[in-house]
Amino acid sequence: MLGKLKTGEKGRIMNIAGADQFVRRRLLDFGIAEGSEVCVKCILPFGGPVMVESCGQCIGIRRKEALRIEVERV
Amino acid sequence: MMNIALIGNPNTGKTSLFNNITGSYEYVGNWSGVTVEKKVGIFKNGKGQLIDLPGVYTLNPLSKDEGVVTNFFLSESFEKLLNILDASQLRRNLHLTLQLLEYGAPVTIGLNMLDVARSRGIEIDIDKLAALLGVSVAPVVARSGKGVKDLAEMVTDEIACPGKANLVYYGKAVEDGVLELGKMLNGRTNQPVRWLALQLFEGNPFVRSYLESYLSAEQLNSLVISVSEAQNRQTGKEQALDQVIHRKRSEAIDKIVNAVAAKSDDKKVPLTEKVDMIVTNKFLGIPIFLLLMYVMFMLTFDWLGFPLSDALDAFLSGPVTAGITAALSAAGASSFIEDLVLDGIVAGVGGVLVFVPQIFILFFFISLLEDSGYMARVALVMDRLMESVGLNGKAFIPMMIGFGCNVPGIMAARTIETPKERLMTILLTPLMSCSARLPVYALFVGAFFLGNKALVVLSLYVLGVVAALILAKVFSKTLLKGETSVFVIELPPYRLPQARALWRSTWDKGKGFIKKAGTFIFAGSVLIWLLSYAGPEGVNVSMDESYLASLGSIFAPLFAPIGFGTWQASASLFTGFLAKESIISTMNIIYFVPDEATLQGLMASHYTPLAAYSFMVFILLYIPCLATTATIYKETASKRWTAFSILYALAIAYILSLVIYQGGRLLGLS
Repeated sequence: MLGKLKTGEKGRIMNIAGADQFVRRRLLDFGIAEGSEVCVKCILPFGGPVMVESCGQCIGIRRKEALRIEVERV
Repeated sequence: MMNIALIGNPNTGKTSLFNNITGSYEYVGNWSGVTVEKKVGIFKNGKGQLIDLPGVYTLNPLSKDEGVVTNFFLSESFEKLLNILDASQLRRNLHLTLQLLEYGAPVTIGLNMLDVARSRGIEIDIDKLAALLGVSVAPVVARSGKGVKDLAEMVTDEIACPGKANLVYYGKAVEDGVLELGKMLNGRTNQPVRWLALQLFEGNPFVRSYLESYLSAEQLNSLVISVSEAQNRQTGKEQALDQVIHRKRSEAIDKIVNAVAAKSDDKKVPLTEKVDMIVTNKFLGIPIFLLLMYVMFMLTFDWLGFPLSDALDAFLSGPVTAGITAALSAAGASSFIEDLVLDGIVAGVGGVLVFVPQIFILFFFISLLEDSGYMARVALVMDRLMESVGLNGKAFIPMMIGFGCNVPGIMAARTIETPKERLMTILLTPLMSCSARLPVYALFVGAFFLGNKALVVLSLYVLGVVAALILAKVFSKTLLKGETSVFVIELPPYRLPQARALWRSTWDKGKGFIKKAGTFIFAGSVLIWLLSYAGPEGVNVSMDESYLASLGSIFAPLFAPIGFGTWQASASLFTGFLAKESIISTMNIIYFVPDEATLQGLMASHYTPLAAYSFMVFILLYIPCLATTATIYKETASKRWTAFSILYALAIAYILSLVIYQGGRLLGLS
């Protein structure tokens, strides 16, 4: 799960279907979908959002959404 | 004149390009029906006008803000499109471009941020890109204006071709669906059928309701379903149509990008990532944000703003007043006119103008935060806190903008995608202490809290934020239950703000304040002065026997429990509804003083420090000003919510002031 990666770790998105529909659509707008490589840049404290880098752009999503996105470590 | 629409993804430098390509705004207003700002400018070469569209990723909208663009395509007329692309994010940007090409209007492309792409090791073959898309492409540096002139000539002069509308083959099922819709419409609409069909299959709600004016909802439903079934049958996979279309576009884009972009591996860690490691750091993120806020307030109120305002005050009450007096007596003006001008207009309008330096400093910082890309980080850092009260981090941005002026703050709530969170943000943004409230604080802290001016003012700002957060929690548990909160935000790379752009956006925000001083405050000052000049006994009465005094006295007892039961205070609170800064002009007129310094001296005999603080808290919260109320009404389209926003504010202001004043007295403060 994306939410389980530590700062600096990289992964490839395997399945995004578990995430909220709105979040999925927005990620798609950013060009992030199954197969995209992502890197966790920063995790905010107290269960706050995670900052993820993919293809040179940074986005922020909530931890609970990140926990619904399957990734495999690379 | 030729109408050209500027369109592109968010954070691609659209605003910079707009500013550089047009000399000045021809028109700034709102899109019909919604209060998203609509900016139209004339090209510097005078050959056309440029319409600035909100930034979107796709023509299929998620938020109301984005819906503006789709509506523009469906209902307004334009000759050409100027599409700005971020070269470092070509893949993502081309999704929009392909939809524009499918629409079929002539497109010219401005390719921005080639330098960023280069620093990531990406080189782009511009001619090849132009050939593949079938449109003109010009490189620009939107921030510095390099290449903008050539791009402008290209857009206005060349006979632009519509580009290749059929770059993507979506598969037999979808393409058959396009033809089927064409048959159903049978030439009844002049919008491009292929574009309409693809948007419909993608689930674009605006296009669907447009089509419903020609076809019945059942016809459209059965078309979409039959296409979807045919698609699943042909590929043997269960897949939503929007995903199919998106994937086909991605595949076509991959081909284009692979052909035009060469990637080398010598990339360095971008500066942005280094900065982000600090400002969004686990432990440092929030402290850094608070520290920045603190510096901003110290500069505005203490280090820089205060001396500047003081100097301006001395100038206005000295040479300017003397000059006007001399001019009036030279012109032989009657004593009535002389009193009206000096005690009414000069005192009222001048009392507000004095704060122009402080307000511009504040607006400068807000523009700086917006321009540099830090604002999005604030939203990220604040999301956890906002989530706990039922909002998301994005709601913090309207609130920050609200520190400048509540009106654009409330409008900025448009970017929040979920209706419930948007409504809450609209209702709570008025609690953010706007710049018009600042003169009131400046006056009172100058009189009572000289030792720690900035801290006292900061405490008011914090109080506003805390009250908003607590109320958000209350509202989301009671009035506005349900609906899950979501949060996805793009964090654009940091950009060094450009002096000119910064000045322009500071001026855009600040000029409203000056304009208000010349109109609202001017008229208000005349009215207040007349009310104080005349009374039941006749004209030129002493202030305590004026209409103003009798009006104020009616409500004064209401305010006694919270520390300021004088008619003067209640009279100024009334004018505060028109515009918060008229509280100051009213006081200047009522207390009949030539400048701020004397007024501050006089205040000391009318207020205790505790009452002064209670008064400031009341001003902070008591009512959204007239312009804000009008905006709330426009944004919510509901009389009920508008009335609610006024009433809850009054209640919360009274309760808090009561607690502070009576509580303070119990603790032995005075």
